[in-house]
Amino acid sequence: MSKKLNRRDFIKSTGVATASVATIASGISLTTFAADENPVTNEKRWGMLIDTNKLTETNIDDMVFACQEENGWGFEEHSTGDQKANWIRKVKVKDKATGKIDALPMMCQHCDEPPCVDVCPTNASMKREDGIVLVDRHLCIGCRYCMMACPYDSRSFVHEDLSNQKEHMPRGKGTVESCTMCVHRVDKGEMPACAEAVNSDAVIFGDLYDANSKINRVLKKVQSTQIRADLNLNTGVRYSGI
Amino acid sequence: MKHLLIIFLTLSLNSVFAYDGDKHVNLGDKATELKEEGRSRDIHPSLSEIRKMHPAFLMHKRDKTLRQGVRSKRNSLKQCVDCHSATKNDEYVPVNAPDQFCSTCHQKVGTSLDCFSCHRTTPEEDL
Repeated sequence: MSKKLNRRDFIKSTGVATASVATIASGISLTTFAADENPVTNEKRWGMLIDTNKLTETNIDDMVFACQEENGWGFEEHSTGDQKANWIRKVKVKDKATGKIDALPMMCQHCDEPPCVDVCPTNASMKREDGIVLVDRHLCIGCRYCMMACPYDSRSFVHEDLSNQKEHMPRGKGTVESCTMCVHRVDKGEMPACAEAVNSDAVIFGDLYDANSKINRVLKKVQSTQIRADLNLNTGVRYSGI
Repeated sequence: MKHLLIIFLTLSLNSVFAYDGDKHVNLGDKATELKEEGRSRDIHPSLSEIRKMHPAFLMHKRDKTLRQGVRSKRNSLKQCVDCHSATKNDEYVPVNAPDQFCSTCHQKVGTSLDCFSCHRTTPEEDL
């Protein structure tokens, strides 16, 4: 049975045709944009292995200094004592049985299951797909629950008005902050500032999921540990020699 | 009645002429340069769009950058500051200072500007 194409049908069919062309066209433009705007994926997980045997106390101080220089913290004028920012710090641990003292750099451990993210009421504390734990200061209301929840005491709160921040690291009063694993450098394909400041064997930065990465090869060979492994947080920062 | 009408018309005409869409008191050094070279349309194809939509663009970009690691230049605040900063006595003037690019409009329309309690107000490079 043949049916004449009346005016209404004609408009309908052309409408569908135009819509499909538009979809294809927008698809093309989307893919061309996506080429240089790829979001990070969970195919990678950034991590760090810190060998305390290869680090002297001066090395650790260098790491702290490199972090301060890179991210512009530690120059607060009005904050006192505990109020001061502390993204990375030197911690000394002593084995009471043997008396052996180790110094280690302590910062955000970039947990796989971060307690700070669990407790955040505004979703400001968050974990990126590639395992880096960050604070979204746009959403942070400064409640400091995450500081309470962090077993590593690695977060700090900004107590004073700041100016002259680093271009890549905005910081401001009333928000919580911590080690970002130098996310701005990692996105450019560089290493975190602290890892670059010391011997490349002492602090190894790399992709924990890549079987061929240096960090993975070393982790397979040497005895390493997570601090507070009993909490089952699966930290991204691991230590050997303690 | 006639007098009232004349006064009303004068006032409204005044406000029409007072508005000059393409002028901006302080565009910033690089942006002025780009405008003179005629390249500003490559960056902002439509002025009315960027004027109206820049908060939405910035909001969208901030989430993409922070949460997904997309660090492209388009719509990044860093790039805004880079082009729209002015210099005075061989020093950059903060973009949120009075009479600077950001604050002029924001003062005029009475909206507060909260980007710069955390973000840097001048380009990082030295002059």
